[in-house]
Amino acid sequence: MPKLTIDGKPVEVAAGTSVIKAAQTLNIPIAHYCWHEGLSVAGACRMCMVEIEKNPKLQIACNTPVAEGMVVHTNNDKVKDAVKWALDFHLINHPLDCPICDQAGECKLQDYYMNYGLYSPEMNQRKVKKSKAMSLGDRVVLDQERCILCSRCVRFTTEVSKTHELGIFNRGDRCELSTFEGRPLNNNYSLNTVDICPVGALTSKDFRFKQRVWFLKDFETLCNGCSTGCNVTVSYNQNGVFRVRPRVNQEVNGFWMCDEGRDIYKHTNKEFRLDQVIERNDQVGGAAVKGKPVALAIQEIGKSLSATVKKGGLESIALVVTAQYTVEEYEALFELFKNTVKSPHVYYWKNNEEDFDSFDGLLNRGDKNPNTKGLSDTMTKFGFKGTWEDFEKQATSKSFQYVVVAGPEDQSAYPDLEKKLEILNKAGEVIWLSSCKNEKFKNFKWQIPMKSFLEKEGTFVNFKGIKQNIKAGMSIIPTSLSLQEFSKGVFESMGGMA
Amino acid sequence: MSVVKRPEGKANWYLPGILTGMMITIKHMIFNLTHRKQMITIQYPEERYPYSDRFKGNHILTVKKDGSLRCTACMLCATYCPAECISITAAEHDDPSVEKYPISYEIDILRCVFCGLCEEACPVDAIRMGPEHQTAAIAGENFIYDINKLAYRSGLKGGVQSKVDDEERHSRGL
Ligand code: SF4
Ligand code: SF4
Ligand code: SF4
Ligand code: SF4
Ligand code: FES
Repeated sequence: MPKLTIDGKPVEVAAGTSVIKAAQTLNIPIAHYCWHEGLSVAGACRMCMVEIEKNPKLQIACNTPVAEGMVVHTNNDKVKDAVKWALDFHLINHPLDCPICDQAGECKLQDYYMNYGLYSPEMNQRKVKKSKAMSLGDRVVLDQERCILCSRCVRFTTEVSKTHELGIFNRGDRCELSTFEGRPLNNNYSLNTVDICPVGALTSKDFRFKQRVWFLKDFETLCNGCSTGCNVTVSYNQNGVFRVRPRVNQEVNGFWMCDEGRDIYKHTNKEFRLDQVIERNDQVGGAAVKGKPVALAIQEIGKSLSATVKKGGLESIALVVTAQYTVEEYEALFELFKNTVKSPHVYYWKNNEEDFDSFDGLLNRGDKNPNTKGLSDTMTKFGFKGTWEDFEKQATSKSFQYVVVAGPEDQSAYPDLEKKLEILNKAGEVIWLSSCKNEKFKNFKWQIPMKSFLEKEGTFVNFKGIKQNIKAGMSIIPTSLSLQEFSKGVFESMGGMA
Repeated sequence: MSVVKRPEGKANWYLPGILTGMMITIKHMIFNLTHRKQMITIQYPEERYPYSDRFKGNHILTVKKDGSLRCTACMLCATYCPAECISITAAEHDDPSVEKYPISYEIDILRCVFCGLCEEACPVDAIRMGPEHQTAAIAGENFIYDINKLAYRSGLKGGVQSKVDDEERHSRGL
């Protein structure tokens, strides 16, 4: 393992490592545009210049492998001057777009200009004009003038998504990024190009102009879109959630996430959420009564459950769960059913099970639940084995009095929802726990608002069995509950029966 | 103990003082009656005193040559505003050379402290503060100024033109 010194700090890295990577292990920043850890080296932008002693000229850190005894300087005047000139050349034809550019605030051109540039432009030529606001596909917009031709996005479509839609055409200052004729950028990973574009050339249609990035706050959590469990960063402010971007985790998702996962925040925003208790009141002809305090509703539920239990009506209470909640929530709910309600009728509602094993070869899996493994493990732990088929049989033959349903948070992952609801409706009283509202639930006795995955803490177990935590990053519907809170409330109002 | 000693007798001679004062008043009255044009007093609210154009009063959103809003919805003014009284919603413009424009631009004028930072932050001279300073209104919502009021209120006579022109900038190859 070669030892080298970077800015006076010694470091030992594996042979073949590039200087920029070695500097990264020391947290020494080196300016760069084209280099990206998840892609091949291009050496195109010339921003990563460093001085290596006994070397007559500056070298690019991204494509220079470390060698024994190397002494590297990343921040002396010679290096700063080189970076400044490289930046000046990048900006020769760059438009004055910052006010309308979505990247502003997190743009590497702006950052490096403040760190290394701070010059007055010396070019006296007319800028080369190219196309603006070109739609590349369903999700990505390109501004050719802003592109600095680092080729990150091209390498992404060649090496990672292997879909080969993007290319750099023409020569010299007429070079431009574009798609090939008749091949729009529509692969399921296209928005990663927006993330890796160091400037504002590629922007996301979904996020475009919704917010300026400096109005957003970030927190780290997991994608709940499928059983892969990609690590993500969610950006939000007081007006809601605005975007989801991947976070590096080599074990799970590497650097990327799929475009489907970018939409996971949509159902969590206020307008789609169940924000209050809705009760079907049979005394007034089944009309919906809204806005009962959650605590009161739970008390009533607990009381009627305990009355049924006392009457010996155990057989008439059932629980149906979907794989969209955390392990801790299942444990609390199963604890309640096993020890307090003492009902053995716990059923696992699986959506489109036939697609569970499908896999697109990169990240996206057919199992659209974040915690399938967590649920089946917890069920085994508690000795519950029921499946939806069992529930359906029981429900049609003898009909349950009470069914508690931990319904899907993301209803779009449950294409057969309507059919299943019909079967649920055969039960006497359905206690439907759900994050999102839907007119179709109006026949249920109770609809209790649940927290979305952005508002609670807990564990998801991904398809490989890797346990990862989600974080309570924000509060969207303050009255909503987690399953733990629900179970605790019911337990208490059942008089803590054991 | 300090005692104010008034000069004896002199205090009684107030009449000359009053008469001198009256003389001045009457002189001005006669002057005003005969030179009405030079009178300083104005008959507010029928008559109003025009403030300097540099006065930091009610905001004006400037317009382009074609009369559309100059604002690009960059939100720098909203970012800079210490009172957080500017709210803007941006949208995609049909013309890719314009790209971004505000579909709504509102200033909550009751929260505004008339500091002028919005004017200073704007990169394209889209917002200015004008000489109007009388902001009285009756209903609460009249104090939230929208695009119509900010750019096209009748006092602006069809809008004030911005000094920054994209077309001119492009034609110079910038
Ligand atoms: S890419 Fe960066 S420098 Fe260029 S317009 Fe956008 S924010 Fe400004
Ligand atoms: S669009 Fe962005 S990522 Fe692609 S080459 Fe241009 S600057 Fe690089
Ligand atoms: S004058 Fe000051 S307080 Fe008023 S809108 Fe402008 S920046 Fe905000
Ligand atoms: S008024 Fe000026 S600073 Fe404010 S959003 Fe419009 S262009 Fe930007
Ligand atoms: S990062 Fe090294 S040349 Fe671009």
